[in-house]
Amino acid sequence: MTTADTRPSWFEQLIMLSGPDSPGQSPAWLDNARAQARKTLAELPVPNRKQENWRYSAVEGLLKNSFHPTAGYVPDPQALDPESLLLPSFETYRLVFANGHYVPQLSSSERLPAGVTLGNLRTALGSDSKWIAGWFGQAAGHTEHLFTALNTALANDGALLHVDENIEVDRPIEMIYLNPGQDDASLIQPRNLVVLEAGARATLVERFIGSGKARYFNNNLTEIGLREGATLAHYRVQDESRNAWHLSSLYLSQAQQSRYRGTTLAFGGAWARTEYNAHFRHEGAECVLNGLYTAGDRQLTDFHLDVQHSVPACISRERFKGILYGKGRAVFDGRILVDRQAQHTDAHLTNDNLMLTRDAEVDTKPQLEIYADDVKCSHGTTVGQLDPEQVFYLRSRGIAASAAHRMLCLGFANEIIDSIELQPLRDYAIHRLAITLNEAVARG
Amino acid sequence: MLSIKNLQVDIEGKNILQGLDLDVGAGQVHAIMGPNGSGKSTLSHALAGRDGYEVTGGEMLFDGHDLLALDPEQRAHLGIFLGMQYPVELPGVNNMVFMRESLNAIRRARGEEELDAVAFMQRVRDKARLVDLDEKLLKRSVNAGFSGGEKKRNEILQMAMLEPKLAILDETDSGLDIDALRIIAAGVNALRSPERSIILITHYQRLLDYIEPDYVHVIVGGRIVRSGDKELALELEKKGYGWIEEEAAA
Repeated sequence: MTTADTRPSWFEQLIMLSGPDSPGQSPAWLDNARAQARKTLAELPVPNRKQENWRYSAVEGLLKNSFHPTAGYVPDPQALDPESLLLPSFETYRLVFANGHYVPQLSSSERLPAGVTLGNLRTALGSDSKWIAGWFGQAAGHTEHLFTALNTALANDGALLHVDENIEVDRPIEMIYLNPGQDDASLIQPRNLVVLEAGARATLVERFIGSGKARYFNNNLTEIGLREGATLAHYRVQDESRNAWHLSSLYLSQAQQSRYRGTTLAFGGAWARTEYNAHFRHEGAECVLNGLYTAGDRQLTDFHLDVQHSVPACISRERFKGILYGKGRAVFDGRILVDRQAQHTDAHLTNDNLMLTRDAEVDTKPQLEIYADDVKCSHGTTVGQLDPEQVFYLRSRGIAASAAHRMLCLGFANEIIDSIELQPLRDYAIHRLAITLNEAVARG
Repeated sequence: MLSIKNLQVDIEGKNILQGLDLDVGAGQVHAIMGPNGSGKSTLSHALAGRDGYEVTGGEMLFDGHDLLALDPEQRAHLGIFLGMQYPVELPGVNNMVFMRESLNAIRRARGEEELDAVAFMQRVRDKARLVDLDEKLLKRSVNAGFSGGEKKRNEILQMAMLEPKLAILDETDSGLDIDALRIIAAGVNALRSPERSIILITHYQRLLDYIEPDYVHVIVGGRIVRSGDKELALELEKKGYGWIEEEAAA
């Protein structure tokens, strides 16, 4: 067992490695943020199962690896098979990262509309970093979360998007994180910042793609700031290598009347966790989180959602569906906190799980904490199997049992897939889910 | 076409069919009537091959094939169709996608070419008119949120699409008002042909006013105790099942 007393030695090495750059190499605000994060990293207890947030998601396996940053990695654009990355008929403005390093040759951000800034953090630090300073670390903080501190302490590249007031971006923006892995224990830490000024509208698609059997830890962090009346549709596809660890930490900061709509599709990884932190501090904002996940043998998929209503009249929706097969495991922890002053809150959460085998396991935990008295709130979770009556109905119509199972699983997932407003991404989701379902049905 | 001999079926260890015999020739319409719990629906599910219906004795031959050796989908490939009493809802499974999968699975199994999207659409639209089914329902999830009558029409639509050799319609009339019953009956009558046999399972004579059977059988206690023509159904309507149950017990 790893405890606070037995901090893994690679942490210590990272703390040393993350020491200040030589003077003048990075802006002072970043040096300060890193220094704070280093302190946190040295002091915070290491997660263990006695902590409620980590009760069902063992991190021992992750911590006992000796991860180290991919500082010396130089991407070879040709070796990354650029053609295979792209979705058919999907016209986007695109950033591509490989093992956390920006690959300009594969990116495509020409002809961006005026008022849209899209690029990578490291390049921006050398020139226009003022607006970044105002946002960096604001939503995420440095002091509470060990993996947030880890990301911050070594932050040196990631994706940046900034959209000026009242600009509507005419195409989806795509951020692709390729993780070919460099050796057995790469630590890959994209540090992203997405800011939409008042009235701006954009669609963002993030895709995490792991190749082959690469073993690595992708510890990515995204801060999202939406000013008054801004609208962001945010899709995330997690298709990491089946030997990879993946932790996505998302921090939302929403102004009045802003709307965030997040959809996560999680298929890959050996150990994959997504944490959403949304704290409403301004009235009339809306946050919708949808998710679809699958897990089979030697896979753990985890969602931790923390939505806090601290002001009146905000709307939150969380709708997550999981398909588990083989010895797959899932964890769903959905917390909604409604403070006393947050009257007229409208918050609903559902989590449904379809278990294709007896050996699959899910730990689902909705938590509603409501201290206001005039609110509309609900939650519901289900864990079930395929209905034999439905299977028989399909078979009696000539459809083989395996195909019937696939159809019913797709039907189960359809509510989430159907909510994807980008046709190429919807097609991809159906195609990708079918691959998993074929594996699941064959596994039995 | 269909020959059932001395069929015995258990459900959860309870003996429901206790030696049932039935022969259905090509193009014939057989009505099977009987009191509640007599085994009517058990017969229909056993024919379609539903899990949990354990055949402990007897045989079922369809065009010379031993049905007991076949899975439900294989029976469908041979041309057996079961119109369900309670069609199940399939949320998230598009009605049109489902029917196309079904039709093409059967065609593939028979070595026929699959129907392409255009030909399929044409066919489903034509057949939907036959049962007066709103085309909007084709775009929805299978049976999800359909009224009782819409579900039954959707069953007959599938029968029309799949053109089975043997259709077993299990209490297709239950829960229908008179207008819906007429539409369903007209749909079924339009599908009558010299090659297609139909087994109508019903509790009431009413359906038989609209779909005229060649034969009427009465099941009591898991056996066919009396067979006749449509006059038998009228007699049952007048006198109820009591007298026939008493005769069977005697």
